Amino acid sequence: MANEIWVFAEQREGKVRKVTFELLSVGAEFSKKTGAQMVAILLGSGLQEAAKSLISFADKIYLMDDPSLASYTSDTYLTNMAPLIKEHQPSVLLGGATSTGKDLFPRLAMHLQTGYAPDCTGLAVEENGKLVAKRPIYGGKVFAEMVFSEARPQMATVRNNTFPANQNLNKSAQVIPVSAKTDLSSLKKKVLGLEKAAGMKLDITEAEIVVAAGRGIKAPENFKIIEDLADVLNASVGTTRATVDEGWRDQKDQIGKSGKNISAKLYMAFGISGAIHHILGIGTCKTVVAVDTDPNALIFNYADYGIVGDLFQIVPALTEELRKVTKE
Amino acid sequence: MDIYVLVKQVPDPEAIIKVKSDSELEIENKYFTNFFDEFAIEAGLKLKEKFGGKVTVLTVDNKKADALRRGIAMGADDAIQITDPALDGSDQFATAKALTAYLKDKAFDLILAGRQAMDDDAGIVGPAVAELLGIPHVNTIIGLEMEDPKKEAKVIREVEGGREILSCSLPALFTCQKGLNNPRIPQVMNVMKAMKAQIKKLDLATLGLSAADAGGQAAKIKVRKYLPPPKRPPVKMIKEDFPENLKILVKLLREEAKVI
Amino acid sequence: MDKVDVIIVGGGLAGLSCAYELADSGMTVIVLERGDFSGSKNVTGGRIYVGPIRNYLPDLWKEAPLERHVTKEFITLLGEMNSTTLELYSDRFNRQPYPSYTILRAKFDRWLADLVSEKGGFVIPQKNVNDLIKDGEKIIGVKTEDEEIGSDCVVASDGILSFLAEKAGLRKPFKPQHFALGFKEVIALDPKAIEDRFRLGENEGAAQLFIGSLTRGVMGGGFLYTNQDSLSLGVVVGIESLNLREPREEIYKFLDEFKERPEIKSLIRGGEVVEYSAHLISEGGLHIKPKIYGDGILVTGDAAGLGLNMLVTVRGMEYAMVSGVLAGRAIKRAKEKNDFSASSLAYYERLLNESFIIKEMNHFKNTLSVLENKRLFSKYPQAISNLFEKVMRVEENPKESLYKTISQGLREGFFNLEAFKDWLQFRKI
Repeated sequence: MANEIWVFAEQREGKVRKVTFELLSVGAEFSKKTGAQMVAILLGSGLQEAAKSLISFADKIYLMDDPSLASYTSDTYLTNMAPLIKEHQPSVLLGGATSTGKDLFPRLAMHLQTGYAPDCTGLAVEENGKLVAKRPIYGGKVFAEMVFSEARPQMATVRNNTFPANQNLNKSAQVIPVSAKTDLSSLKKKVLGLEKAAGMKLDITEAEIVVAAGRGIKAPENFKIIEDLADVLNASVGTTRATVDEGWRDQKDQIGKSGKNISAKLYMAFGISGAIHHILGIGTCKTVVAVDTDPNALIFNYADYGIVGDLFQIVPALTEELRKVTKE
Repeated sequence: MDIYVLVKQVPDPEAIIKVKSDSELEIENKYFTNFFDEFAIEAGLKLKEKFGGKVTVLTVDNKKADALRRGIAMGADDAIQITDPALDGSDQFATAKALTAYLKDKAFDLILAGRQAMDDDAGIVGPAVAELLGIPHVNTIIGLEMEDPKKEAKVIREVEGGREILSCSLPALFTCQKGLNNPRIPQVMNVMKAMKAQIKKLDLATLGLSAADAGGQAAKIKVRKYLPPPKRPPVKMIKEDFPENLKILVKLLREEAKVI
Repeated sequence: MDKVDVIIVGGGLAGLSCAYELADSGMTVIVLERGDFSGSKNVTGGRIYVGPIRNYLPDLWKEAPLERHVTKEFITLLGEMNSTTLELYSDRFNRQPYPSYTILRAKFDRWLADLVSEKGGFVIPQKNVNDLIKDGEKIIGVKTEDEEIGSDCVVASDGILSFLAEKAGLRKPFKPQHFALGFKEVIALDPKAIEDRFRLGENEGAAQLFIGSLTRGVMGGGFLYTNQDSLSLGVVVGIESLNLREPREEIYKFLDEFKERPEIKSLIRGGEVVEYSAHLISEGGLHIKPKIYGDGILVTGDAAGLGLNMLVTVRGMEYAMVSGVLAGRAIKRAKEKNDFSASSLAYYERLLNESFIIKEMNHFKNTLSVLENKRLFSKYPQAISNLFEKVMRVEENPKESLYKTISQGLREGFFNLEAFKDWLQFRKI
């Protein structure tokens, strides 16, 4: 068993996703305690830039650069990662709780016969290298601290924005290319295409700032003022189940219950009364601002800052004020 | 087509859940079929309507079988409950092993499940069963098309930034997400049939498993402690009139919260 | 069209009692309940008087999840800033079989539904019945959102606003003056605290009625019941009386203010509100009782207007349960003769008339006209408390003779023509 913390370096279109840097940063903190080596494992195609971006963040990078790995599928990635992991038996393997992470890690854990804690909002490591993972259950009504058996690696996927990403860990990783072992003839899945969602904004689970409107927006076209605010903040736009059910917004933007849980640095809710599922969906956001006309709206019980007011008056003025302030 | 749907009975999302102690939760007695499982059952029934065949619902549960009855009420043909006291304290990997032990000698074309259970929110069992059975899997599908049930399916799944379209050879396992379909509301006569139905129960021994394989001691992860959700300090209401209030808000966000 | 023997619409006390009576009769009986489970949409103050029901449903009470058996009755007359309370304790209330118990409907109805299922009936939740299926004037089934089910007999147990009884042509819409609105909170409180504050032994309970300034002159009153580990606290107001009042008031404000009164505050201190609910209450009695049987249909419980204001209490639950049982008996008889026509099912009305239900409703048929008197909710409770207060006060000025104090108080409040006429009204109930 190796005293190593591995991070599955997730990349998209040749660029390493932010959550990878977050995990390498927290991993580096842990390794101060345990003396573990930080290792990134990067799969894909055309990864020159991606590999370079990781060099200062890890001690070692296993690089599998092959056309067969261009699009993620669980069979190609698992076939290539599993032997390496089995060979080195790292203490910990971390990944982002992204659609890829949540698809790959449970299968990989079953394959490796090891423990896995999904969608964590907290991690800690004890001197003996044991991982303690904190994660929400029952939709976030309760949190559970998970511990692992003796099997290695201890696996966990972690929610975006849970840990800060350092700018530079001042490391100099040794890049180790590994040839892909994909048997194309035995492939059972093939990615046919990707329909990109309109607009270039980050998914709400990844965005650092999310602004959202609920039923108080009254009509779908009124979302324009929210989108303008999002532009000035470089934020993504979220919403509640109410507007999705009406067909005003797409489900991918829905926060709570059957939608998504977000961990933004700043979350602003406009015209959202605060039904419990929405509240649970924003529980791990660092700063929450709520604006609603109803002084008794439940959302104010879960916000850091609140204004009782009309969003149609406040949002455009807020956008203006922010434009002024960011120009300075 | 021979379709199996993995289902689970979980507390209603509205149920009150409190932390009683480090190791105990107090859960209000309101249990329903897991929300996402209904999309899986509906998908199975739709395929049965198109290609003929059979839909069987499966669960691993030591207490209730109501999720199975929901499946039957919606139109499933058969129901299996895997239940064994040794399963208490086991983890999702053990659940996957138990389900696989049942499925491995069945001639299934497709296995469906919900994207995650709304109690443990884990999403582990689906992919883990696929791994043990050696079949491909696709998570969180919102679209499913099939022309030849013996060959392959075309699925659409949610990813960040859009939707991914994949082809997947069968047999396979798909976990289902909201938006895949509109689960049918069971008809009264079918609900009655489901209430009367005999549920086949299987224990670990019948499946060829021992407590060492799938019981509490085989667990790879365990809950060490339950915690209530983090409490936020009381809200700071900005009481000034417009437009002072939003100027103050911006100031607070910059200087106090330091988020912009 | 699929067919069963009996379709009971509504899984409340009337519907479930009917199903319980019929469950092992060999007939296929289904209960269609619109809530997620029986009890999820039912509310009571409240307290159930088991005495009248025992004869009809003898087996239920050993296992039934009831709260506390009531050993103490309180009546409180509220003035604006004072109140007078009468407390009654009786050994009779504390001897088995206990006459009444406080009750929580979500618990009780759900348990009863499970009992019905065990006995062989089918209680199907999340099913809303939209319409009746008729063959001429005969009811032959029901329609839900997406299916039709046939029956020999439909039992309309769909509650106070029963539209099924309307659709069957048996009832006209009720008028506002026949309804009251009840609004309550369930406040969780440690059982020891409850027992201390109301001076009760373990499992003993108290029921308290309030009349006076809490309803601001509107017909109605307040109630407080002790459950095992919670209190049921609420307000009831007559709808028409509420509507006529200027300025208009929201009923929840009545309850909020009620909770602020020192008499209440000290009783609920440290408690946590765990539930809010509201429900319409039928108070019209015999005046609004519709026709309760037709070809292929029977009407039970609140749907049949079987609710009664008896001033010291409001009755509904016992009538619902017993009417359900009687409807079940009438159906059994009809099945024997294989005749579900109106003339055969009329047996149900006969049973009802012979029972305590109609007899009581007759005795109290004038309650509402007596209660129309606003002074009952304002002047008299205030006058009584004022008088009591004056009698008990000792201040700087030399205290007047008791006879003077009392006679003055009685004269002011009660010895006048108006009060005399009001007193005569009471003969009606």
